[in-house]
Amino acid sequence: MARVEFRNIRKEFVDDNKGTFTAVAGSNFVIEDKEFVVFVGPSGCGKTTSLRMIAGLERQTSGDIIIGDRVVNNLHPKDRDIAMVFQDYALYPHMTIRENLSFGLRNLKKPKAYIEQKVAQAASILGLESMIDRKPRELSGGQRQRVAVGRAIVRDPQVFLFDEPLSNLDAKLRVQMRVELSELHKRLEATIVYVTHDQVEAMTLGERIVVMNNGIIQQIASPTELYANPQNMFVAGFIGSPPMNFIDVTKEGNVLRMEGGSFTIPDAMARGLSKYENKPLILGVRPEHISGEDLPGTPNHEYTYAGKIQVVEHLGSENLVYFRIGNRTVTAKVHPETTGYPGMDKTFIFNFDKVHFFDPETEQRIDW
Amino acid sequence: MQTAPAQSRPPRTPMKGYMREYGWAYLFILAPVLLFLIFTLYPVASAFLMSFQQYSVMGSEWIGTDNYTRMVKDEVFWKSMWNTVLFTVGTVPVNIIITYALSFFIFQMKDKWQTFFKATMYLPAVASGVTISVVWLAIFDPTHAGLLNRFIGLFGFDPVIWLGKSDTALFSLILMNWLGSHGAGIILYLAAMGGIPKSLYEAADIDHASGWSKFWRITWPLMKPTTLYLLVTGVITSFQVFISVYLMTQGGPNFATTTIAYLIYNTAFNFYEFGLASAQSFVLAALIIVISVIQFKYFSSDVEY
Ligand SMILES: Nc1ncnc2c1ncn2[C@@H]1O[C@H](COP(=O)(O)OP(=O)(O)OP(=O)(O)O)[C@@H](O)[C@H]1O
Ligand SMILES: [Mg+2]
Repeated sequence: MARVEFRNIRKEFVDDNKGTFTAVAGSNFVIEDKEFVVFVGPSGCGKTTSLRMIAGLERQTSGDIIIGDRVVNNLHPKDRDIAMVFQDYALYPHMTIRENLSFGLRNLKKPKAYIEQKVAQAASILGLESMIDRKPRELSGGQRQRVAVGRAIVRDPQVFLFDEPLSNLDAKLRVQMRVELSELHKRLEATIVYVTHDQVEAMTLGERIVVMNNGIIQQIASPTELYANPQNMFVAGFIGSPPMNFIDVTKEGNVLRMEGGSFTIPDAMARGLSKYENKPLILGVRPEHISGEDLPGTPNHEYTYAGKIQVVEHLGSENLVYFRIGNRTVTAKVHPETTGYPGMDKTFIFNFDKVHFFDPETEQRIDW
Repeated sequence: MQTAPAQSRPPRTPMKGYMREYGWAYLFILAPVLLFLIFTLYPVASAFLMSFQQYSVMGSEWIGTDNYTRMVKDEVFWKSMWNTVLFTVGTVPVNIIITYALSFFIFQMKDKWQTFFKATMYLPAVASGVTISVVWLAIFDPTHAGLLNRFIGLFGFDPVIWLGKSDTALFSLILMNWLGSHGAGIILYLAAMGGIPKSLYEAADIDHASGWSKFWRITWPLMKPTTLYLLVTGVITSFQVFISVYLMTQGGPNFATTTIAYLIYNTAFNFYEFGLASAQSFVLAALIIVISVIQFKYFSSDVEY
């Protein structure tokens, strides 16, 4: 197993007609040995491109890629000692599952007995024994996905690369496979780089998450850290569901003014935000940190806002309540027994221990 | 279809209503069916009857299987059968390899060049077989002036009487076929190659596959349906090879290039033995059907569609 490092990696696609397009703009990160790291971000942000550069299927425009202790810039995919699970699985359609699993080892001219043992082992780990002599088209989506993983694990590579392996599966199977992948990681003690655009998958699988947008890394942190301390509005809005609310406020001394209300903040907070005196600010608060009831244990009752409920969504375990502050819709995730109906005037309580402030210009979080 | 009770249209005169609704359809179908009956089925059926007759315009005589026994006793028939088999074995597999190799190289090119080569390779298919044969007559010209003779002259070989000697004549026809039209096959192969997902090759790259391994273990097996198609159609066409023989060698010298199709033509239109020619035609047809079925059986067993 090995670590993976990106040093100032840029990737530009040059098209004769459309000009140059920067898919990855100066990436730097270190993925530690045996770590499970997830690349997450919206479509087109450069996740696949980054992964393919690790694999060697795409050549970076500049920068260095290091796997283990080797700079692999000029190495062919087969010499990088990696295994990749493709989004469309890329199983060889004319080969049986056994042949699919053994193809790599056969190319390496490993002894027959060794290959058989490896294939049998992978098949048993992934529960593929009963279908080992079938062709890929005779398998379900989840089974194909397991074959694709199996093809990777028979080779004992230094690094596993997964490109949205679960995106073709239905919701139930996806949850099941997520758990299986997590267990597989523990069992194999492997370095895994996993690409997804699904933040739930990222949060549940990743030990650390690399959040990307427009080819730029936004933040690299553990799931809890990302959730608790997003570095900018993009990360704050991307991680968490429903996403964080952003409210336009103006600071006047100890008072944060907004349309239809105000909050009086403690001195320490006001001092930390002194640069923004009489200037616009963005207050970020997650839906789960706005409650509709004066519940026991709510730390501070001073931060209240009187709003008018627009919509209530009953999700069973909780209700989502929508109201407006200025021209922004704010979502509150409230206890399912909280009374509320559209048109009702309701006082919402903000948990100010958990709020963030963002600079409206730079969209960066303000450390106060 | 008729599960729901037809309430809106009471079934007063079902036949009349049916004809009003579908009558046109039958009329349209009638035209091609008539064409088929008159120009395909009738000639085939009458040829079948003819093969048991001593045919003459003035009145045919029923002679049972005499035509067939005559045919199998005829040395020239067996010679032509052998020539046809040689021609097929000599052309079809080689053509498939050439077509495949050309496609493989064209496939590596940029789109613009692909289009260019597809078009140029297809061009001979548009030209008539007659034109091509005439051009090849010039290429095979037995004198020093002949194109091919000049070419081999560069390597110090003496001129060859390509079409005029029995030991080179059939080979010359085969050679001409090799260098003939690969356009249709190339287009099919290119389409099939384009249909293989790129990620298969990327997976193979990661799986340590060499160029040879990718070709032999991935591309070739996935080309099998196309290859099978080219094989079957190629064999059918080459069993019927006629134009080049007719125009270039007339089956000679000494029957060295007499193929079955040419023999049939000769029997019918030079010797006016229409009954015998019909019998030969039926044997050729039966042979083609049997060989096609065998090819399908044998090759499609593990074809991946
Ligand atoms: N071969 C290519 N030529 C030109 N542009 C490309 C190429 N490959 C990717 N791009 C562009 O680079 C950007 C990043 O692509 P990439 O495939 O890495 O996105 P992604 O983050 O994986 O998105 P998704 O979630 O949709 O898979 C996209 O805007 C894409 O259009
Ligand atoms: Mg992608």
